[in-house]
Amino acid sequence: MSAILDIRDLHLDIVASRRRNHILRGVSLDVRPGEVHGLVGESGAGKTMVGKVVLGIAPPTAQVTGGSVRFDGGEITHMPDRARRSLMGAGLALIPQDPMTSLNPARRIGDQITDVLRLHLGMGAGEAGERALALLRDVHIRNAGRVVRQYPHELSGGMRQRVLIAIAFACRPKLIVADEPTTALDVTVQRQVLRLIKEMQENAGTAILFVTHDLGVVAKICDRVTVLQAGRVLEHGPARRVIEEPEHPYTRALMKATPRYDRPGDLLEPVPPALVDELNAAAAAYDRERAGA
Amino acid sequence: MLEAEDLRLSLPDYSRKPLFGPPPLVDILKGVDVSVMPGEALGIVGESGSGKTTLGRTLVRLYKPTGGRIRLGGRDITDLDEPALRPLRPRFQMIFQDPQSSLNPRRTIREIVAQPLHVYGMITDRAAARRRVDELLERVSLTAAHADRYPHELSGGQRQRVGIARAIALEPTLVVADEIVSGLDVSSQAQILALLRELRADMGLALIFISHDLSVIRTVCDRVMVMLDGQAVESGSCAQIFAEPKHAYTRRLLDAIPLPDVDPDWLRTASIVETGEDLRMNIKGSIALVTGANRGIGEAFVAELLERGVAKIYTAARDPSSLTASEKVVPVKLDVTIPGEVEAAAKQCGDVTLLINNAGCNFNAPLFAEDAMANARTEIEVNYLGTLSMIRAFAPVLEANGGGCIVNMLSIIGRVNLPALGSYSASKAAEYSMTQGVRAQLAGQGTLVVGVMPGTVDTRMTPGGETKPPEVATAALDAVEAGQEDVYPGGMAQGVSQGLAADAKAVEKEFAAYLPE
Repeated sequence: MSAILDIRDLHLDIVASRRRNHILRGVSLDVRPGEVHGLVGESGAGKTMVGKVVLGIAPPTAQVTGGSVRFDGGEITHMPDRARRSLMGAGLALIPQDPMTSLNPARRIGDQITDVLRLHLGMGAGEAGERALALLRDVHIRNAGRVVRQYPHELSGGMRQRVLIAIAFACRPKLIVADEPTTALDVTVQRQVLRLIKEMQENAGTAILFVTHDLGVVAKICDRVTVLQAGRVLEHGPARRVIEEPEHPYTRALMKATPRYDRPGDLLEPVPPALVDELNAAAAAYDRERAGA
Repeated sequence: MLEAEDLRLSLPDYSRKPLFGPPPLVDILKGVDVSVMPGEALGIVGESGSGKTTLGRTLVRLYKPTGGRIRLGGRDITDLDEPALRPLRPRFQMIFQDPQSSLNPRRTIREIVAQPLHVYGMITDRAAARRRVDELLERVSLTAAHADRYPHELSGGQRQRVGIARAIALEPTLVVADEIVSGLDVSSQAQILALLRELRADMGLALIFISHDLSVIRTVCDRVMVMLDGQAVESGSCAQIFAEPKHAYTRRLLDAIPLPDVDPDWLRTASIVETGEDLRMNIKGSIALVTGANRGIGEAFVAELLERGVAKIYTAARDPSSLTASEKVVPVKLDVTIPGEVEAAAKQCGDVTLLINNAGCNFNAPLFAEDAMANARTEIEVNYLGTLSMIRAFAPVLEANGGGCIVNMLSIIGRVNLPALGSYSASKAAEYSMTQGVRAQLAGQGTLVVGVMPGTVDTRMTPGGETKPPEVATAALDAVEAGQEDVYPGGMAQGVSQGLAADAKAVEKEFAAYLPE
């Protein structure tokens, strides 16, 4: 099966006041149609930046210096904004991290859903309104008729995240980038939202690039996973294999540093500083090699 | 060491402040008992809004409780004022959740850590302060090189170490740590947790560790207390609670933690709670009151209610002789514009759970007709004031009977003004706004408030209207049973309501065509 998203050897620098920081150092990964692909790493690993490049929302200071991003068979790395926008909605969509700031506080929930439908699918007001109600019911919001008339501040965090999921799936996109979609939620709400994402994803046959720092979440929702550290892919494979038999020492260290309530005897082992130094040295060596080449 | 009994705290809730008058009080802590032995680590777990952070802050007397007692080392500190607390403060310290905002961005790390030493006069000589700060930084695995930097130059994990160094500077016997690892990566988190364990062992520190994460609590704490909605639902030793949680909520919290094990059932067995308040009502077995029950839509309501198995209906009309009693139907004399009659009805019908405000009038007469003034007055009196007075009288009745439901018969003309029907439009518009207000006010007591906005209905008021009365009654009662708040029976009303949502201006233009000649 050919991949819906195919990232090959992606390099990206952030250029700010004459300083150039290497963020992505040759990232390769592919997301197959209908799969949930986890992109896992600690803060600063570059995982969010990969998602932003895919969506075309990387900051202006970010420069792609090499490699390619192919979506649905077409090259999108350096696509102009206008062409890029036509991919959004029915092609690509985002489930953002923060349900508190990702909705427009001054507009009603219903309008924020119908906007997407009218813009990307060219629906009329009546049809979009009906579809918005149906979408809210799909994400298990009762009283959808009332919610469409409410403003974001009137909803709880979990409700807002459901609205964002409804918006992401509104145009049945081929690929959704979910950027830490449950990090801001309480655990009991997180479990429901994960289930909801999975349910919607299976019904719509959408592929998801699931960006997260949480190996627990990866274990529960992802089919395959790519482990990122300092902008480099250290390991990738089926989620079960990576979780149960991690190959790379860094993945193993992350697993050991993750607390679990069911194993009181195990003391947490912080990621060994020697390993971090080694990985940073390897990244630096990679940079030198690339600069020389 | 620290003991708190029946701790209560209420704060004013400004989000629900009425336009005039003081805001209502909301209970954040509803009687919590806490005790910590010297050297012990107590975990407090809960989700957002459970009151765990407030509890932590109340225990160190950053807040003054509105009830209960706090004793620290045998001394009652519940009512001490700040000067009296001050000499005690070095003994109990707090580490805050977000080191980014709890560390002064304009001070160096050295200044931040030294500040409590100076404030409490522990150290007066500069060289000694320097040595002590170096010692403290080393204790939390930072180096002297960090001392002259500013908070923004450090990583999140390093900043949290500074927070810890500052908290232990005065050698406290108790530290309250509020979500101190929640923003950190697992690798920094593991380091901070290891550091806390060491400090406890070295300093004999008692620790209150507040977190939303039971896995983290398990690695540092001896005992755990589970908070829900301002109360402790369960507390006990970690060994006992993690092995055999007694409370269903504790179980749910544990089940919700995604352990890093591949387990497809974990998602499959998660139940998705339908969100949004559930105000659905079962009409079968309910007791209804229908105003204006002697004709038109009122009559249709009575028939449909009986059809759906209502237990009893009070049928109200100005002239009860036009109503027939039966086994389930009790006629009531009621003119909604007469306050005495409304009050009497609320007393007589004290068991009502479903109030249908159907009484209304529309004279549909020319504006310059002789009786136009009187007609307009009656329309406002009956449609708006009558409905409002019924709701005011029956809201306590519904509350006493467990919430119930109010159905207001409005009109689409309440949303799109017809100039030639000015007073009728106005009365219905006022009723529409009032319905929304009542809905908000009564949501707290669990009352569903349904607004029904049909187009023209085939009744005496508008003969030949496109919608038949039974259709309206059916749509309204369906809404009651579905917990839906606004219904627009009839094609025209539906069209208008959708149009209004999309482009209100266009609807008004379109609607002009419906104006009577």
